[in-house]
Amino acid sequence: MSNTKDDGWQRTSPLATIFYLGRIYQAIAKNAVQSLAPLVAFLFASEGNLMGRIALGATLFFLVTIVGAILRYLFFRYRITDDSVLIREGVFKKTQLDIKFDRVQAINTQQSIIFRAFGLITIMLDTAGSKKQEGHIPAVKMALASTLKEHIRQTTQVKSSLGGALHKGDGGEIHVDAPRQLLLLRAADMVRIGLSSNRALIFLVFLGPIIEQFDNRIEEEIGASIVEGIGDGSIVAALDTAQPGIDIGTGSVVMIVLGVLLILVATSIIGAFLRYHRFRLVTDNNVLRSTGGLLTRHEHSINLAKIQTVVASQNVMLRLCQHFRLRVNQASSDRTRSSKSFIIPVCEPDQLPVLCQEFFGEEFLDAVLDPGAEQFLPIARHYFRSRVLLTGVLPAVLVTAIMANLAGFFALLFLLWIPLNACIIWRLYKCYGVLLARDGIVLRRGFLGYRVTAFLHRKVQRISLTQTVPQRRKGLATLRFYLASGTVKIPYVEFEKACELRDHVLYRIESSQKAWH
Amino acid sequence: MFENPEISADELPRVSTVHWLGMDRQFLRFLLVQAALGVIFVSIGIGVLQQIFNIAFAEEDIHLKLGMLWFLIPVIAAPTFIWPLISVPRKGYAVRAKDIMYKSGVFWHTVTAIPFNRIQHVEKSSTPLERRFQLATLQLFTAGGSGGDLKIHGLSADNAEKLRFFILNKVGASVEQH
Repeated sequence: MSNTKDDGWQRTSPLATIFYLGRIYQAIAKNAVQSLAPLVAFLFASEGNLMGRIALGATLFFLVTIVGAILRYLFFRYRITDDSVLIREGVFKKTQLDIKFDRVQAINTQQSIIFRAFGLITIMLDTAGSKKQEGHIPAVKMALASTLKEHIRQTTQVKSSLGGALHKGDGGEIHVDAPRQLLLLRAADMVRIGLSSNRALIFLVFLGPIIEQFDNRIEEEIGASIVEGIGDGSIVAALDTAQPGIDIGTGSVVMIVLGVLLILVATSIIGAFLRYHRFRLVTDNNVLRSTGGLLTRHEHSINLAKIQTVVASQNVMLRLCQHFRLRVNQASSDRTRSSKSFIIPVCEPDQLPVLCQEFFGEEFLDAVLDPGAEQFLPIARHYFRSRVLLTGVLPAVLVTAIMANLAGFFALLFLLWIPLNACIIWRLYKCYGVLLARDGIVLRRGFLGYRVTAFLHRKVQRISLTQTVPQRRKGLATLRFYLASGTVKIPYVEFEKACELRDHVLYRIESSQKAWH
Repeated sequence: MFENPEISADELPRVSTVHWLGMDRQFLRFLLVQAALGVIFVSIGIGVLQQIFNIAFAEEDIHLKLGMLWFLIPVIAAPTFIWPLISVPRKGYAVRAKDIMYKSGVFWHTVTAIPFNRIQHVEKSSTPLERRFQLATLQLFTAGGSGGDLKIHGLSADNAEKLRFFILNKVGASVEQH
């Protein structure tokens, strides 16, 4: 379905228009949610021939977006050379993107239900640069994705064999391991993912205009009843009429809120099915690959050597289910941090050691991702004292002193913040735990849930050691490890230990012959 | 053949034993002149504002107490002049065979270490005022950071150039296996 020109530049299938349409709507949704929300609220609240205006606006909106998508398809070209992928796109703003194979961190693919019918696929080339530097080739034959993957694998293998990092047989031949399945998610896991998803909260935004509508309706009902009652000359009658109005209104609001909450949960579970149905995680020649999705099949991959940090998290729902969510981070700039993660939406506790072994190999055998592990050491107790003083006692006393004149005796209620804050800080303190191993560090933190972050020393980019005045007095320090995927902070460590750890990590970075990326 | 023998924790090179180099002598003067210029600009601003208000409200019976703004001058000037005297002696850098370190902070003491084999690129910059004092700022960038990961202000222009050249050589010399 792709057309090749004489100069080697190729066009994708016309069905790429669907991909671009999706991208346009995605961009609108991302940037215009704030401006569209009041518009929707206004449409709900306004009177008159609203439907006509909505129909006209919607038609124009769809026409403009379709024309935009067609133009983007017409202006898209790509070319694959021996060592890179070249992409040229843009209608008004021309973009020339040259991606060298050795800069590609992963090739991800996406196959929507329409593309599946035509045997087409969207290839996404993931690089270590900014999000703008990532290449998309929409609506191409599946064979092209396989060819590209093979090209890149060969490039990486040549590099690895030059570095001597690849296993070679006695005859010098390169061993290529068969793909190994690590995880397969079932229907029950989709429910767990759905229940533990935070995305459902976004839908709460739409509750605002609905509640406002009902609020207005109740006010109107009461107003009308009172006017009617006054007209009859009987206030009692008005109150009698108004009472059922309030009851019906309150009952309706409660029912709607409950209904919306149920819809949220259902939507979240459906979303999990759509995104992760038959989620399969395999390891294939130092590449971790995941596939899943009901209508659109997503395939994500990450080179194990490019892993920067591994985060095992457990929110309240996952704690109740006794499951974990894993996020594998690779190098990224600040802006692309969230989109550069490889997600394993749910896994069982006994799968953690197996996955941990896959992520870090033999380099970090002591790594544990289970927050309940006994190996974690607590941070210094001064963390609790200083936090309570800074975030509890000090603000509470100040606010009480300021409010004493206005609120009198009731100002003392602000002092209740101190015990409440102390409980929160105590929980945070108890959640903190550090595991210091020869080749890596694991940090545990949390409040109601847990988040365990593990990384290898040699992946660290820079280290800083900070001491505040009270910390200096108590012989403590805070260590920050800056990695290409983010920062890991270990607060309130004994100063001597912190210095030792910093020196050790610096030594590991500087003496390691393995690349960090 | 590459060798990487095991060494004990006691043998590890310690940051606490490094010899810290202070910032250039001109740096303190530069900061004081910068502070003085800042105070002058604020004074001019207040003066101009006062004149504009005087002209604008000359025919009306409005008395704005803009003179109070002049009391802001010593409030702003005192810390801007005193702070460099305290902070500059506490800044320092150390260059070792395999990394560079920078210390700073009066209340929050921070020591940052960047190994040369993690530096992506180095940038040297200088403002007109810095050039007047023959000073320069060196910025070291590592992967994943959004801006300059380490900024070393107050280096003499010569030292900054030498340091930049030295670091770039070190960055180029580090070879790692993929």
